[in-house]
Amino acid sequence: MMLMVQDLRVTFPLDGKTGLRAVDGVSFDLAPGASLGIVGETGAGKTTIARALLGLHPPGCVQGSIRLDGRELVGLSEEAWRAIRWRRIALVPQSVGTALDPVYRVGDQIAEPLRYHLGLSPAEAWDRSLELARRVGLEPRHLRAYPHQLSGGEKQRALLAMALSCAPDILVLDEPTSGQDMLSRARLLDLLDALCREGGMGLLVISHDLAAVARLTERVAVLYAGQLVEVGPTAEVFQDPRHPYTWGLLHAYPDMSTARDLRGIRGAPPDPANPPPGCRFHPRCTQAIDRCRREEPPLREIGGRWIACHLGGLQTLLRAEGLRKTFFVDGGEPEERVEAVREATLDIREGEVVALVGETGSGKTTLGQMLVGLLPPNGGRVVLEGRELTAAKGKERRAMMSRIQLIPQDPFDAVSPRLTVAEMVREPLDIQAIGTPEEREAKVRQALQTVGLPTSSDFLARRAHELSGGQLQRVVLARALVLEPKLIVADEPVSMLDPSEQARVINLLKEIQTERGLALLLISHDLALVRKIADRILVMHRGQIVEEGPGNRIVTRPEHEHTRVLLEAAPRLG
Amino acid sequence: MRRLGGEVWFGLILLALCSAVAVLAPVLAPYDPRAFSGQPLERPSRAHPLGTNDVGQDILSELIYGARVSLTVALAAGAGTVLLGLLVGGMAGYAGGWLDQALMRLVDGMLSLPRLPLLILFATFLGSGLPQTIAVISFLFWPTTARVVRAQVQSVRQRGYVRMARQFGASHPYVFLRHILPAIGPLIAYGLVTSAGHAVAMEAGLAFLGLGDPLVKSWGLMMRFALNLPGLFLTDRWLWWLLPPALCVTLLILALALMGIGLEQNLNPRLARRWR
Repeated sequence: MMLMVQDLRVTFPLDGKTGLRAVDGVSFDLAPGASLGIVGETGAGKTTIARALLGLHPPGCVQGSIRLDGRELVGLSEEAWRAIRWRRIALVPQSVGTALDPVYRVGDQIAEPLRYHLGLSPAEAWDRSLELARRVGLEPRHLRAYPHQLSGGEKQRALLAMALSCAPDILVLDEPTSGQDMLSRARLLDLLDALCREGGMGLLVISHDLAAVARLTERVAVLYAGQLVEVGPTAEVFQDPRHPYTWGLLHAYPDMSTARDLRGIRGAPPDPANPPPGCRFHPRCTQAIDRCRREEPPLREIGGRWIACHLGGLQTLLRAEGLRKTFFVDGGEPEERVEAVREATLDIREGEVVALVGETGSGKTTLGQMLVGLLPPNGGRVVLEGRELTAAKGKERRAMMSRIQLIPQDPFDAVSPRLTVAEMVREPLDIQAIGTPEEREAKVRQALQTVGLPTSSDFLARRAHELSGGQLQRVVLARALVLEPKLIVADEPVSMLDPSEQARVINLLKEIQTERGLALLLISHDLALVRKIADRILVMHRGQIVEEGPGNRIVTRPEHEHTRVLLEAAPRLG
Repeated sequence: MRRLGGEVWFGLILLALCSAVAVLAPVLAPYDPRAFSGQPLERPSRAHPLGTNDVGQDILSELIYGARVSLTVALAAGAGTVLLGLLVGGMAGYAGGWLDQALMRLVDGMLSLPRLPLLILFATFLGSGLPQTIAVISFLFWPTTARVVRAQVQSVRQRGYVRMARQFGASHPYVFLRHILPAIGPLIAYGLVTSAGHAVAMEAGLAFLGLGDPLVKSWGLMMRFALNLPGLFLTDRWLWWLLPPALCVTLLILALALMGIGLEQNLNPRLARRWR
């Protein structure tokens, strides 16, 4: 093992007593010729790690152990570090603009480490510089230029040439692609990719550019608030993220193959000077439990992946196995039965937006009603948070029902004509016996505010027939929210509204979904609509789920015949 | 709620009048109805506006106190009928499935039985107290109500908001009391009024046949005593002895029937158009 980092902690003194811990207990290793990506949001501590590897922090800030071929680097003198920088570990820094000295020619700057570290003569050094320049795609004229005469991409290449000059064992790239246009970024990635293949050199890529990391590295470590939350093979981690943070990060990343609107992770990264107790991600996590608020989860191996999560990573919120529903035509022959749902199996993870699409009569609504426990299935089972919903009774059923809510297609049918708005929205709280009457009242007002409805006493006293369809659907949404469910099943929630109101309600639904971190199953016949918000799409046809996949894949490369039919039929203007 | 029609108001006023008489009987009646306040078979006079019966009791007082009996029966038997009907029909309609099938076959069976002979049979065996009368009437008349209630419950049960309440974790009793009962409220009112009407007629009939409580003088019993007098129709005595209780029974039934018709129009807008 060439580089072994163990329990690396970097603390910057803030004032006399307290310190700001930018990196807290990070461990990883890097074999010769291997590559590792470290990804995370701004401020997660990525650059701090890079600088620690080069001994660039003031003495005393770095604790833990960094071993290079068995030799401990933490605590080395500046003298000893100089022998390691450039020759053993080289860094291509993030800020291209300031990393080059403006008063020296670029070629001289590339030659400088050669002369200084390798003791080459000026002529030898210049020759090597020319060769290095060629390797990184620079021409001799670039070497004679001053930094301000080069473009950003060319400067980046010059810095790369410098880093490569002493043939280091480990190359650390800090945000190699930041600030570059897409074309020069692509060329740079090609170049780096080729350099890595030449062999021998360990590569550490630190970036928030997930595509660059995916391209350059075999393994990836996800950093959050100074701690690693997930480590695994890059392709696997990006294909199937297991930690809730990784999942959120990937969904926030724009990708040409994504049709969906970008979604952020709710909340903001914690203040490094004052991180939350327990798991640092818990305030933003959709599945946090009590333990997450108290205990820090260790990074442990779960199924070939290292994950720091008490729950072992993203949880399956709802799982349906082999659901069947057959309706018998009253008084008809045995043949006259309708197999509305045949062996439907699906799962919905925490915080995920899944769309169930299919034409009328494909069994979508029946499936949705079975999932929320409104309709008993003829076969199969529904498991909600590890407990079987289909078998639950009494108190247990009541408790489970508060976790999952339905928004039906027809808002006029979904509310009692005899109740006022306040009574409608309060009903779930009454049933679940939550809080005092005043608390219920407050929750009702809050829910109404969330969905953008007035909370005046005049409005609260209105009845269903005094509201518009859009208002009523919002009331239904507010009613579904008062119990703070984990999953909302929305069955064609906007199909009875006009287009402009449709857009508003869908955006509202999406906003609430992200903000509250709840999972959403959107049942719709409208592919054009669902692809804007769905992470995953299930296609249903004649009572079966015939295709399942990420939204973009379903829309761009449908596999099942019926999906293509649905895509053909999707509305187009012009 | 649609506006109540004229016939409902007419019925209500009649019923209110009848109730007022029943409540204020001690004040209104000139004599204790059991007291032998005059000579037997007196003709109407200033002292006895409707004369006296064959044992010398004041007929007007009897008539006034009779309202109490008829209204008690109307209310109790009406409520009994509706309660039984609501219980069976509500259960059948809400639960569905085999329970629905079983209960509805029971209803069919009950409806196919001839009521009057059964009524007489029951009355004979159970004795002739007022509570027995009420029980027998309730028992014989609930199936009609049960059927109507079941149909309505079945339809309301499928409404989104009723099913949604289950989705919030509500128990079946909650759903039934909070959503289904209010939804079939008008139906219950209608059922109450119509079965009260039936009950009044039935009680009068039973009493008339001599199967009522001989000690509780209802209008039916008065008629029976009047008719027991040999040669009642030979004189004009029937005008003040037989006719007043008969008229009272008729008016009370009419009042209840009119209210029933009005409420039915309220339940079924299609009927309203035909009637108005």
